[in-house]
Amino acid sequence: MIKKIKKKAQEEMVGFGLIIIIVAVILLIFLGFALRSQQKESVEDYEVNSFIQGFLQYTSDCRNNLEYLSIQKLIFDCNNNEICLDGRSFCDVLNSTLTGIVEESWDIKGDRPIKGYELKISSNEAETLLIKKGNSTGNYKGSMQDFSRSGNSVEIFFTAYY
Amino acid sequence: MQIMVMKTKKAQLKIQQMAFMLMAVTLFFVLVGVFVLVVKFSGLKESATALEEKNAMLLVTKLANSPEFSCGNGFGTNRVNCVDADKVMVLKESIEKYIDFWGVSNIEIRKIYPKIDSEIICDIGNYPNCNVIKMRSKEGSGTDLSNFVSLCRKESFEGEIYDKCELAKIMVSYESK
Repeated sequence: MIKKIKKKAQEEMVGFGLIIIIVAVILLIFLGFALRSQQKESVEDYEVNSFIQGFLQYTSDCRNNLEYLSIQKLIFDCNNNEICLDGRSFCDVLNSTLTGIVEESWDIKGDRPIKGYELKISSNEAETLLIKKGNSTGNYKGSMQDFSRSGNSVEIFFTAYY
Repeated sequence: MQIMVMKTKKAQLKIQQMAFMLMAVTLFFVLVGVFVLVVKFSGLKESATALEEKNAMLLVTKLANSPEFSCGNGFGTNRVNCVDADKVMVLKESIEKYIDFWGVSNIEIRKIYPKIDSEIICDIGNYPNCNVIKMRSKEGSGTDLSNFVSLCRKESFEGEIYDKCELAKIMVSYESK
């Protein structure tokens, strides 16, 4: 009689164990689906992206024999040690103009939401220009743009820290 | 008789056990469901905010690249996020005809760099020596959105025409629905 009761209790425990296993499997499947659907597509940061596109088209006050040069042209020819008609080097003009543009566009003074920024321009994987100001917090928005001309590749990274 | 009572009691116990088991399993499933729902909907507000931000930016970008504002091929190759200032000044004169077309209450273009300390609102008399192009003189109410653009115009130097592009922000006000 005791043996029979023991066997029945064992059977029930096995049944309970089975239910737990089935529920655990269902839970895992649910979690798998939930986590997979949570993979958000990377939202492009339009503001930072537009900022890069905007300053690349900016016409600087550096003139060569043909025209006033845009920032994009200054970036390409900065590494060739070229100079403007007034004697300033392309790199100096690029540095001063971009510093002014970034300072006016991303104000980090006082209680502004922007805490800092970093602009990095590299040409053929060598750093051409780095403008960094403020604090690098963990909360940031950034964008990268790359383009090439006659074998020279240029990469522009801009990050705004909040 | 005694055996019958004992059997009935055992059966009742079994039914009770079964009921408890069913309740426990149901409760477990409900808890799992609640957990899954919490995990799934925790990021919903963030997603909604991101989507709203994305749509707003798309509206401003769409406006900057619309034929009425964009540089088109007037400044060499086709440029993205480039606004033709000369075109905008002409459009400003007949903006009332267009304002419902874009579904916005006001459009403003503000030069960022080079910086002019005081705010000079552009009109036909002082253009291009100004820094704010207000498409409508009345203040727009509702939500304000902005995005960076390149503000280009034709300039002359020693009798030679060249393209002059400056950095600006296009600001759009629209009535929130």
